[in-house]
Amino acid sequence: MSVIRVPEADAGGWSCDRCGEELKPTPVNLEYMDSRFTVELPFCAKCGIALISEELAMGKMLEVEKLLEDK
Amino acid sequence: MEYERESVCPVCLKRIPARHEQQGDDVYLVKECPEHGEFRAVIWRSQPSLDLWRRDKIPSYPAQPATGRGDGCPFDCGLCPDHRQHTCTAVIEITERCNLHCPVCFAVAGEKEARPDRSVEEVREILAGVMRVSGKCNIQFSGGEPSVHPELCEMIRVAKEMGFPFVQLNTNGRRAALEPDFAVRLAEAGLDSAFFQFDGTRDDIYESLRGQRLLSEKQTALKRFIDAGIGVVLVPTVVPGVNADNVGDILRLAAENVPGVRGVHFQPVSYFGRYPAQPEDASRITLPEVMTALEIQTNGMVHAEDFLPPGCEHFQCSFHANYLVMEDGLLKRLSANRSGCGCKSEPQVASKGADKAKGFVSRQWAAAPEPVALQDKPVDDLDRFLARASTHILAVSGMAFQDAWTMDLDRVKGCCIHIAGPGGKLVPFCAYNLSSMQGETLYRPTPGVKKGIAAHGQPAS
Repeated sequence: MSVIRVPEADAGGWSCDRCGEELKPTPVNLEYMDSRFTVELPFCAKCGIALISEELAMGKMLEVEKLLEDK
Repeated sequence: MEYERESVCPVCLKRIPARHEQQGDDVYLVKECPEHGEFRAVIWRSQPSLDLWRRDKIPSYPAQPATGRGDGCPFDCGLCPDHRQHTCTAVIEITERCNLHCPVCFAVAGEKEARPDRSVEEVREILAGVMRVSGKCNIQFSGGEPSVHPELCEMIRVAKEMGFPFVQLNTNGRRAALEPDFAVRLAEAGLDSAFFQFDGTRDDIYESLRGQRLLSEKQTALKRFIDAGIGVVLVPTVVPGVNADNVGDILRLAAENVPGVRGVHFQPVSYFGRYPAQPEDASRITLPEVMTALEIQTNGMVHAEDFLPPGCEHFQCSFHANYLVMEDGLLKRLSANRSGCGCKSEPQVASKGADKAKGFVSRQWAAAPEPVALQDKPVDDLDRFLARASTHILAVSGMAFQDAWTMDLDRVKGCCIHIAGPGGKLVPFCAYNLSSMQGETLYRPTPGVKKGIAAHGQPAS
């Protein structure tokens, strides 16, 4: 089993639902409101789909979103 | 001629019909008093056009209006049942005395004519009234110069003990500069933020506006506030021909002093007090001109299109944008700009805007938290961004006051910055400071009226 470096995305053993390919940790560009971030995520090379775990989405990504969204 | 607005007559302060007159991208407020004739004053120049800047709200009326409907706006404050926005910041004036004696001052501060200072008990009662009608809003102690009050620290303690989350001091910084331990004592009392009168980075600016060369004193005060752990907001009063050419340098200085400096809040000059003749339009600078000047004078470090209309106060009253100050000193804009949005937003419920603004101000204008340590965990861009953003965001904003020539009662009704008096009484800032050409006021007591400009700061949301 591959070592996943993103603590929020415990993706060990995840495979792509569409093609069955094992997800590999890959640098992925996330864009939100004119800001771009590079984050290593479990990624299906065949389908180009990344897995964003609930913990990551509701954790760090939500924090970033709150900072970028204005009053 | 169709009058779609309401204002007041600068001579008699009666409510009179008014309208916007468009000349190119410039907008004038034109009004007609049956007794004193027509008045015209510029309120908006150039880009972005006022039409594009528009941001409407669904009114949020007071849950507990302290006054009823009598003579109508702006004579029933307040808040009366027709007021459309909740309190974001309650301003409490604790003294009329001042230690600076500026040639001009909207608060007509001057020791000779000053009424007695407010006592701690009086302030406690005012705070209780604010808590009753407006809940845990932000509090600003103001004056006069509130730092001359011998019991200021006790008042800060009382406000914090009562549960107000954010307490700010509107100050010229003189006492912090002259007394090495003063800022520390303020911090120990619980002060979150200094709303620090800072008109520029050159001494000639202070000579013009304050009658003295104050730059060195301002720099000392700035350092003392930062060292004491008090969040600093630099507050320049922007006056054409005095410091309108200095706004870029003020912003640079602010960025250089992040994370100690948490915000810059530009206040275009407005004209309170006795004015035998109407101030010329050339002596006014409007919000879009300040936004454009910031872009030009910083060589594009910020852009006029970065700035957004407010979600709390009336859209004509302010602009704001937030930046991350990067390691190389450059500013990275947070949030999408107006052109990047490409859509017209639906009207928001006003109280939601007020809640957001309260939370933003209490977080951003207070001192930055301790830096986040990154070495213990895997680091990606989100971690790095969050670590930097926790300490190095700079809020850049501007707020336009209304005077007897520019007052629009629609803006007054949407105001979220309220001067608090006894018994839960709250008066919108510009209504409180409104004065006729002869210096007569509706709400502010007038102890020996002097000609004055908005030389003190006002909080923002």
